[in-house]
Amino acid sequence: MMKRLAFLVALVLLPAALFGAARQVYVFNWTEYIDPDVLKQFEAETGIKVRYATYESNEAMFAKLKLVKKGGYDVAFPSTYYVERMRKHGLVTRLDKSKLPNLRHLNPTLMDKAYDPGNAYSVPYMWGSSAIGVNRKAVDPKTITSWNDLWNPRYKGKVLLMDDVREVFAMALRSMGYSGNTTDPVQIRLAYEKLLKLKPSVKVFNSDSPAQPFLNKEVIIGQIWGGAVYQANQESPDLVLVYPKEGAIFWVDNMVIPSSARDVDAAHLFIDFMCRPDVAKKNCEFIGYATANLTAQNMLSPKTKNHKAVYPGDETVKKGEFQADVGDAIRIYEKYWEMLKTR
Amino acid sequence: MNRGVFRFISVGSTVSWIVLFVVIPYLFVVLFSTVSYEGLISGVIDLSLDGFREICSSVFLEVCISSFSLALGATVLTLLVAYPYAYILTRLPEAVKRVMLLLMIIPFWTSSLVRTYALIILLKANGIVNSVLLYAGLIDEPLSMLYTQWSVFAGLVYTLLPFMVLPIYSSLQKLDWRLVEAARDLGATPFSVFARVVLPLTMPGLIAGSTMVFLPALGLFYIPDLLGGARSMLIGNYIKNQFLVAGNWSAGSAASVVLTLLMCLCIYGYFLSARKARTESMGGMP
Repeated sequence: MMKRLAFLVALVLLPAALFGAARQVYVFNWTEYIDPDVLKQFEAETGIKVRYATYESNEAMFAKLKLVKKGGYDVAFPSTYYVERMRKHGLVTRLDKSKLPNLRHLNPTLMDKAYDPGNAYSVPYMWGSSAIGVNRKAVDPKTITSWNDLWNPRYKGKVLLMDDVREVFAMALRSMGYSGNTTDPVQIRLAYEKLLKLKPSVKVFNSDSPAQPFLNKEVIIGQIWGGAVYQANQESPDLVLVYPKEGAIFWVDNMVIPSSARDVDAAHLFIDFMCRPDVAKKNCEFIGYATANLTAQNMLSPKTKNHKAVYPGDETVKKGEFQADVGDAIRIYEKYWEMLKTR
Repeated sequence: MNRGVFRFISVGSTVSWIVLFVVIPYLFVVLFSTVSYEGLISGVIDLSLDGFREICSSVFLEVCISSFSLALGATVLTLLVAYPYAYILTRLPEAVKRVMLLLMIIPFWTSSLVRTYALIILLKANGIVNSVLLYAGLIDEPLSMLYTQWSVFAGLVYTLLPFMVLPIYSSLQKLDWRLVEAARDLGATPFSVFARVVLPLTMPGLIAGSTMVFLPALGLFYIPDLLGGARSMLIGNYIKNQFLVAGNWSAGSAASVVLTLLMCLCIYGYFLSARKARTESMGGMP
């Protein structure tokens, strides 16, 4: 009787003991932003179990990490200036580069940006641009060279802008020769006044799926994500991406280790695994965005790696600007954005 | 005894659900609207009315005005569509009536977001409506229907229609048609039968329906965003942006407290007019 009871107790405790012993890494990523096979491969190769959770916006991820003080996620994927914002709030841990040998595969043009000098806290994962989308059936792409072309009265009522305060203002600021990351209230006001003149031309504000109004023939010119053009081109070749001479706006999604991480070593192992060229290639083929991994990029099919909307080339990237945190100036931007929307 | 337990569990679970997921979160909103955000993130409760001061601006006033006029327009249009529909419904044979009610309710088993995208497919420049009209030779150029004020109204009316039809239908069902016959026998024109007999008697349903359309229309911002091209800002957008873009939780909370108070005012107005309509429809005509 006693023996049987002991056996039962052992049976109950066994799985807990087994799983308790296994190491785990808690990953917090955007929805549909990884090839699920990659997670299984990581578990099989390292024996570390992946606990995976997803989010829909930087803001949501930031708010959650802000609330968790200890025992939180081991890896998160903030975009461009959110790395800076998280660092200012003490939410990220400094990386140990000696544990990340695969960093050598990454694209140097995407490293050491203003939002994280020397990549002390973040490792680039995927990246992309926003530039000018043109329906070549309605507008000759050769006549479009500058952000200022959006103000051409010929396109009145046929223009698309992003429904995103930073993207729209960065575009207007660049068109005037200012930085899209300015915190100068005067420059922001001047950009607002210039945008006010564009407002009557705008048919729709859309940043979730900006290619749709182009495919629906509602607009013929406007701001668009490079990746959206690539995806739309699978359906129709009419949508063309033009990089304006004032420079496109770039974003990078990065891997970081939150300061509330449970297992910093496992987090390094995971990040290094994600930087392995074969893994990076799998992810970028699954997601369809540009990989920050240069070795992986060179392994892609010529059709993909030469698509200018996805991989614009070093010159274009150098001319463009990466979004940086504007701190409290975001309130000034938001104020003018509200005024722009209510006019 | 058993009934007591059942009542305790059913009422208790509803009440605790509401307290847990409506009352407590809302109290947080009220709290956030009265403390400064800087204090909030550093864990200090620092009383301040900055949030309310911030929304005392011409921009927020304009946001409120455009939200209210949109909701009002949607209510009037829904009423104009719903009343004849409900009226015809009551005059139909029982079997047809059931089918017509079902036809109105079935689409609501699908998410309203999906149905909004369906409207985009209908209305877009190369969409179904334009293709048919072009093919039939009725137009030479596609009509611009999407991203206009009218597509926004179409979306709102479509989404909120049942909330208007059902209360009006139920008050028309209760209508004593002998009164209509009597009015006709006494020589009333069809118009005055409607205006002086049918309309006053169905006023309670009309007011209930209008309230049930107006209040959600005030808060729905994804329909104007998707169908109107997001060119204007509504209260919903404003609150969302304060929280997620500007990181200004005090102003966002203050704006939602103001919205709640305005909605309470509307509901109070509904109670007053519903009571008045009820006494009038019972009290008989002069």
